[in-house]
Amino acid sequence: MSTLLEANEQLERTFGREPVAGPAMGSLALHAALACAVVFYGLVAGLFHHNTWGGTPGSGTIQVQITSSIPLPAQKLNDNVLTTSTPSEAPAIPETKPQQQQLDLNAIPIPGRHEKEKPKPQPLPKTQPHQPQPRTDNYARYGEQTGQQIPRSVAQTGANGPTSVSDTDFGSRFPWYVDGITRKLRSTLNRQEVDASTPLSSQAYLIFTIRRDGTVTDLQLGQSSGSPTLDRACERAVQRVDTFGQLPAGYNQSTLRVTYDCQYGH
Amino acid sequence: MKATVRLLPLILCVSFCVAVQQLLAQDWVHVSTNMAQEKIRLAAADFKPVGDDPQTPALKATFDAVLYNDLSAAGIFDLVSKSMSPQATPGSPQEIQLAQWAAAPASATDVAFGALSVSNGRLIVYGWLDDTRNTTNPQVLGKQYNETASQDLARTLAHRFADEIIKQLGGGVNGIAETSIYFVSSRSGSKEIWAMDYDGENQRQVTHLGTISNSPRISPDGSRLAFASLGREGWSIRMYSLDLNRMVSFPSGTAGGANFSPAWSSDGTKLAFSSSRSGDPEIWVCDAGGGNLHKLTSFRGPDVAPTWNPKTNSQIAWVSGRTGLPQIYTMDQDGGNIQRITDGGYATSPSWSPNGQILAFSWRRNYGPGDPGARDIHIIDLASLRWDQITHESGSNDFPSWAPDGRHIVFERQDGHRTDIWSMLADGTDQRQLTHTGNNTMPNWSWK
Repeated sequence: MSTLLEANEQLERTFGREPVAGPAMGSLALHAALACAVVFYGLVAGLFHHNTWGGTPGSGTIQVQITSSIPLPAQKLNDNVLTTSTPSEAPAIPETKPQQQQLDLNAIPIPGRHEKEKPKPQPLPKTQPHQPQPRTDNYARYGEQTGQQIPRSVAQTGANGPTSVSDTDFGSRFPWYVDGITRKLRSTLNRQEVDASTPLSSQAYLIFTIRRDGTVTDLQLGQSSGSPTLDRACERAVQRVDTFGQLPAGYNQSTLRVTYDCQYGH
Repeated sequence: MKATVRLLPLILCVSFCVAVQQLLAQDWVHVSTNMAQEKIRLAAADFKPVGDDPQTPALKATFDAVLYNDLSAAGIFDLVSKSMSPQATPGSPQEIQLAQWAAAPASATDVAFGALSVSNGRLIVYGWLDDTRNTTNPQVLGKQYNETASQDLARTLAHRFADEIIKQLGGGVNGIAETSIYFVSSRSGSKEIWAMDYDGENQRQVTHLGTISNSPRISPDGSRLAFASLGREGWSIRMYSLDLNRMVSFPSGTAGGANFSPAWSSDGTKLAFSSSRSGDPEIWVCDAGGGNLHKLTSFRGPDVAPTWNPKTNSQIAWVSGRTGLPQIYTMDQDGGNIQRITDGGYATSPSWSPNGQILAFSWRRNYGPGDPGARDIHIIDLASLRWDQITHESGSNDFPSWAPDGRHIVFERQDGHRTDIWSMLADGTDQRQLTHTGNNTMPNWSWK
């Protein structure tokens, strides 16, 4: 009898030990709810996709700022992010973008300049901001008519700093041409090439010559800003210019020497 | 406690979804731009009519309107509106009072002005440009024109004077007021090649083939027009001489297969096009006369729509479907050094900017099932591969083509059942509809 009772208990333990059905159903319901949530999210996100102009979400990110290459007066900054909902198998270009930007900022200067430039920047920033005017010593003094006290330069105070020309009275006779130089350099300076940690007051001092046909030659970095990336960005701004336009017909010299105080600001 | 542990994965999932949603929402914010940099504050005074020839008022009205429109469309001027200009119409440097123009509300830094007269059937225009900030030497530009008196030539002279001003103040970049745009239009019953001035005026039919023609490409010297046309041999590249006003022979464009999308090199010595004569559509290059034909690409999948780097003529950008959906690629002119430019979506119709730095193209970034996305014009800087979208939420935009000044782009926009040609500044602003009748597609801006 006792043996029979034990067998019954064993059967009960085996088949009636735990209520499996309830938790299983619960689990299934939860999974179904989760799947529904994911599908619902996808649909809702898809509904709003057509509002993504100017930048859609995605894995790769690229900062957008390219209108500096367009010869329009305005420079456009845009922080779109690159994305595709159907990423392809080809090498994903966007992923290299952030690196490329950083390469510009860091990789280039590291080998050559860190040793040379680093000692300079620390002492220079203190004395540098006061330097641009003393640099007028560097202006060429050739071919000038003596005795004239016409202003030597026309300074355009803008985001990129002033542009000055070396000829005695060029600035007063042709201020529109000097304006044009400044405008063009402002439009070709790509601020995203400059390391974000560069102090706002930093300025590089460049000297170049404009030929009669408006093309640039003899570009030199007169004085470093202390930031290799700003120096390079300023140099590239000048190099990007195909022509500043023919020198004015009333100007009888064959070239025009220009100093460009390239300032990192605003 | 046990229940809490069981619910933990679900809580984590929900939290993750919420976090992702927030991140995505941040990326959707449209970042503002600092477009508010100064343009040249320019005033264009009405020209002074001289003499009493009855033609003068009408020609003067045309000249004034066209000059104002050209300067306004240049993209580099903040043009003083007529209502803010002084009432005076100075006809010579002696008559202008620059202080008036420099003062508010005009506040102009430069003033264009002059005189116009008709004498013995000749239209004579004197035009000046003065700098109001330079009282001792104000003159920036002085021009004199003498042409037969007609409405067309009044427009031409206004274009010419506008281009001189734009070149002088725009840093040596030539204006586009005298350029033309070639396009395909079906308004005559069949798809023919048409031409118009850059501002949409003077629209005229170029070809009369009575078949289907597309992809017009004007040669750099403006003497020949290459295009694709459907004929007895199928789709072939054909050539129209604008000097002779008739079709001229181009045998390399007809040899077997479908031949599409011709593209001139900027020196006018070479022509690239897409041809399926070897099976797949591939990029082929030949001399302008048709000789020295050779194939540049040999990949599975279509290769179409080539465009040369006009700065160097050493690179070609084109559309390839080798990985599925069409993408933009660049390669050297010998077919080497292939680089993929777009990373996904549906990218077509590349056009290389005159300075060689930027590609404009049509891109459906989010192309795919359930989300076809919008087809918009984008530009990409080839050095950094940074891109920007320049048309937004306005129809389906395709076939961009750069103006020679690198500041303007012409493109086709399909909105509803209509397709028209539009132009805009290369930053997407100042969009202007140029065609209003028939269906008009595939614009191509002349080189000069």
